[in-house]
Amino acid sequence: MSDKVLLVAEHIDKRFGITHAVNDVSLTINAGEIRALIGENGSGKSTFSQMLCGIYTIGGGTFTLDGKELHCRNQVEANNEGVAIIVQEMGTLSGLTVAENIFLGHEEPFMHMGVKDTRAMNKAAQRLLNEYGFERVKASDMIDLYNFEDRKLVEIVKATYMKPKILVVDETTTALSQNGRYELYKIMDAIRADGRSVIFISHDLGEVLTHTDTISVLRDGEYIATVQTKDMTEDDLKRLMVGREIGTAYYRTDYGETISGEVVVSVKNVNVPGEIHDVSFELHRGEILGFGGLSECGMHEVGKAIFGASWDRTGSVTLADGTQINDIPTAIKHSIAYASKNRDVESIIINESIRNNIVLPSLDDLADHGLLNNKKLTAFADKYAAEMQTKMQNVNQFVSDLSGGNKQKVVLARWIGKGSDILVLDSPTRGIDVKVKQAIYGLMADLRKQGKSIIMISEEIPELLGMADRILVMKDGRINGEFLRDPNLSEEDLIAKMV
Amino acid sequence: MSNTVKKDQEPSKLRSFLNSDTFKGMLPFIGLVVIIVAMNIMTQGKILTPKRLRLLLSQVYYPMIVATGVFFVMTLGSIDFTEGSTLGLASIVVSKLSFISIPLAILGGILTGAAIGAINGFFHVKFKLQSFIITICTMYLFRGVCAYLTTETAVPASAAIKALDLNWLKITITVGVLLVAWFLFRFTRIGNDVKAVGSGEIAARFSGVKTDRVKFLAFVAAGALTGLAAFVNVVKVGSITATAGNQLETQILISLVLGGLPITGGAKVRFSNIIVGTLMYTVLNNGLVMLGYESQTQQLIKGVIFLLFVALTIDRKALKVIK
Amino acid sequence: MSKTIEKLKASRYYGLILLCAMLLFFYGIFKILTPSNFGSLSNLYTYLQSSIIYSVGGCGLYFIVVMGLFDFAVGANIVLSSIVGVILAQKYGYAGFIVGCLGCGTLIGFLIGMLYNSLNVPSMIVTVGLMLIFESIAVYVAGGVKQTLPENLRFFSGAPGNIILAGLAFLLMYFILNYTKIGTYCNAIGSNEFVAKNMGIDVKKYKLIGFMLLHFFVGIMAILTVSYGTTMTALTGMSTMSRNFQPLMGTFFGVAFRKYKMPIIAIIVGEFIITIIFNGFVALGAPTTVQNIVTGGALLAIVSLTARGAKGSVVK
Repeated sequence: MSDKVLLVAEHIDKRFGITHAVNDVSLTINAGEIRALIGENGSGKSTFSQMLCGIYTIGGGTFTLDGKELHCRNQVEANNEGVAIIVQEMGTLSGLTVAENIFLGHEEPFMHMGVKDTRAMNKAAQRLLNEYGFERVKASDMIDLYNFEDRKLVEIVKATYMKPKILVVDETTTALSQNGRYELYKIMDAIRADGRSVIFISHDLGEVLTHTDTISVLRDGEYIATVQTKDMTEDDLKRLMVGREIGTAYYRTDYGETISGEVVVSVKNVNVPGEIHDVSFELHRGEILGFGGLSECGMHEVGKAIFGASWDRTGSVTLADGTQINDIPTAIKHSIAYASKNRDVESIIINESIRNNIVLPSLDDLADHGLLNNKKLTAFADKYAAEMQTKMQNVNQFVSDLSGGNKQKVVLARWIGKGSDILVLDSPTRGIDVKVKQAIYGLMADLRKQGKSIIMISEEIPELLGMADRILVMKDGRINGEFLRDPNLSEEDLIAKMV
Repeated sequence: MSNTVKKDQEPSKLRSFLNSDTFKGMLPFIGLVVIIVAMNIMTQGKILTPKRLRLLLSQVYYPMIVATGVFFVMTLGSIDFTEGSTLGLASIVVSKLSFISIPLAILGGILTGAAIGAINGFFHVKFKLQSFIITICTMYLFRGVCAYLTTETAVPASAAIKALDLNWLKITITVGVLLVAWFLFRFTRIGNDVKAVGSGEIAARFSGVKTDRVKFLAFVAAGALTGLAAFVNVVKVGSITATAGNQLETQILISLVLGGLPITGGAKVRFSNIIVGTLMYTVLNNGLVMLGYESQTQQLIKGVIFLLFVALTIDRKALKVIK
Repeated sequence: MSKTIEKLKASRYYGLILLCAMLLFFYGIFKILTPSNFGSLSNLYTYLQSSIIYSVGGCGLYFIVVMGLFDFAVGANIVLSSIVGVILAQKYGYAGFIVGCLGCGTLIGFLIGMLYNSLNVPSMIVTVGLMLIFESIAVYVAGGVKQTLPENLRFFSGAPGNIILAGLAFLLMYFILNYTKIGTYCNAIGSNEFVAKNMGIDVKKYKLIGFMLLHFFVGIMAILTVSYGTTMTALTGMSTMSRNFQPLMGTFFGVAFRKYKMPIIAIIVGEFIITIIFNGFVALGAPTTVQNIVTGGALLAIVSLTARGAKGSVVK
């Protein structure tokens, strides 16, 4: 890292209606530096970097890059100033060729009096792909022919080929496999070696500690501190993010309890084409069964399979009383609950009220002779939203207004209200801030004590170690290892079975 | 439990009121009153004479029955363009069967409609094809069948069925349909399920809603009610030509949009959309005829009012991207 | 073996093979059923001449449909533009005819695009409203009478005039899709409007361009339509609705074959297949009222085969 200052952000500010998303943030980044930007959800880190990249308009303050003030109105203008971003979600566009995707918004070099030189564009794109070592991707192909991972690689090429002075990586790694992450780290290191800089946004503190030079922490839209990565531990960072000691109540502390012999669900030889192969296991009463693995290992599909939501599933999911679960309504009727990793799409109805979201699975129970009573529905929703301490105006508020953590509370309120005995929680704390996380862990421990059974699917190993009675590790769609709860169990033990 | 602290000054009370859901919910009612008052003034009170009102009512029955069925489809966020050809074909069936038995004719009409609805629903649900494309295809198909059946001559109905052109009967059927539909929509799972699918289909499926069944049944209901409306139509017109029910689908679409039904369906749908919308369309239609405008002028005015209304009532928040 | 099939399926030639197979299949059926009065070379030439009219409209609609938009005012504009063209033709000859059709067509496209952009309402709804308005304007312009194209201005009514004009339209389409930014940007907007906006694409501008291009092609279609039929009558009562769907069928073919990078050929062949099916039925002795049944059934079959949503996808 040199002493040369590359980016200066002064008094950056942004409001969304009544929310003060970014509050007077100032920081500087040197040339040849990988700077992590961390903070809880809603801390303003994404908003901050998206203002830098022209995705949001700057609410107040100035960004100065290499001595020049930035006023970008969109990503392309930002690119031209030397700022590029790789976003969390899909950034490549279907219906376009790989080359068209790479040069989208930057077609000028190939335009001659309004006519596009398609051949030259394909050639240039292929040359870039080869330089990055992605020869298997053909520039003239439709992007639709490639899988998610390869499309992400194309996006990396698109964001970095013009050699930006500063590259923002916004929670990209959550979408990547280990291989893809490795490619990305390599490119980040190359940018640093070249005397340029990276802003790296991630929730994965382990990754932040191993791949960055310095870390800036934001909290509730305000700048807290910038620290040297080498001086930090995960606990130090967590403390900075929440502003207090997290305490011991974060995970379960008990060890050595025996698992009940009573089997509540038995899964036999379950296959889902292209997702999971020959998965068999049993879930016991009062047990938290953890599922771990890399994000593409198939564990997320296991949750869907148990809930009867998988397409083309074979094999059997049987309850203690012999009921076969093959579809969602049967699963719900027999006390199975499911909270999806893809919360906004699969768990809650965004454009609906909190009330209607909570009552939806329980409508048959709440009806008297098939008739619904509005007051009764509202009272039901009120009761369980309050039990989960959902932050809201009232239950008629639309879910779309809520934060990630509160949305998850609505999801849980729905299943607690339904009285489900078997809860399948896929990434229950994904994208949720530490305070709500703690509440969810507490709830899981309580439910377990009440004799309910929980399947917790998680990509966060500490969470599995801290909460599960038993952990099944998956790899390439199969179960690859089983661990019992043990204080001496380490992250390395699990990782060894994942990769 | 409110955690929202209002830090900013409200921009302007009037403005936020104009953008609020309350105002948008009221707008169709205001529109209806404005149109009635305006028409009344322009026709110097002639539109509110008992004779005119009776005529007006006679034009409301079958569109309102049809709109009730389509309302469920549009609450799903889907669209149905087959009402016109369904009405035509069902009317032919009703007319032919009316020589055998009136109840059989009514049943035949309903079943014909339900069958067309089932075809639409089947293709939509099983093949995952967009409803507007499917129903355009089937609209064409059944319009063709109608034309084929009436190639030689119009299809006459029996005298017995024509004798049933009684206002009380038509009112009873229409009100009955509305009451039953309202009851189902408001007090049973059906309303919740249909709205849930409209707002977020995947999440609805994961909440235990049988989404495919709900969608299929909504199309069947739309078809069946159109089939019932065919009976009311036959009673009134007595003989069916190739153009029976022509462009009914567009009329229903315009009516429901005028009634404030968001084109996206979902949570913000109101049952009153059906009644207000159909009434507004009929009053507008009648008023323009009474004022003696030529058909092209009438259509011009309808088009402008339609666009104006859509622009004012649409819920742009529910549409992330406007297509 | 399965790998070779996978590879073949991804290649652009697979699309071409699929199209030709469909064409041969339908041709074969009717040729076997009525060998005498169907499918001679001169028959095919006649079918082609009527199908290319719709193909031109199908090309125009492609720009709009790939963006995820829709337009119900195409039929109304065919009527309006051809009436304007014919009226101007009576005064200024070919120049008036061509400029009238193309100018009026494009202007209507401009109006639709502007209104769509400023009202922020789904295109399907805006164009239903505008269809009502354009139909009534067409009646005003025509003065309520049938407009006839002058005898001496019928170069485009048969070969080679109609084929030359349609061919030029297809070439223009090919050029726009492959050698300008418009094709890329329309696809980008259709794929993800937010991302497209962030990439600096002026979404409103390209939607406007899309509507203008569509209606420029509609203008060409108006020339061909009124030349083919020689007269045009303007009617109200949403009578133009049915004119929207024949071009749309070609567009569906085009969109379905987009991944093989050959939308234009798919539009042309697709429309030709539909025409063959219709004429096949007529050759079998079915009354012309069967046309709608054929159109509807064929369209249903095509979309069932090509436009199916993936398992678990949300389809409205």
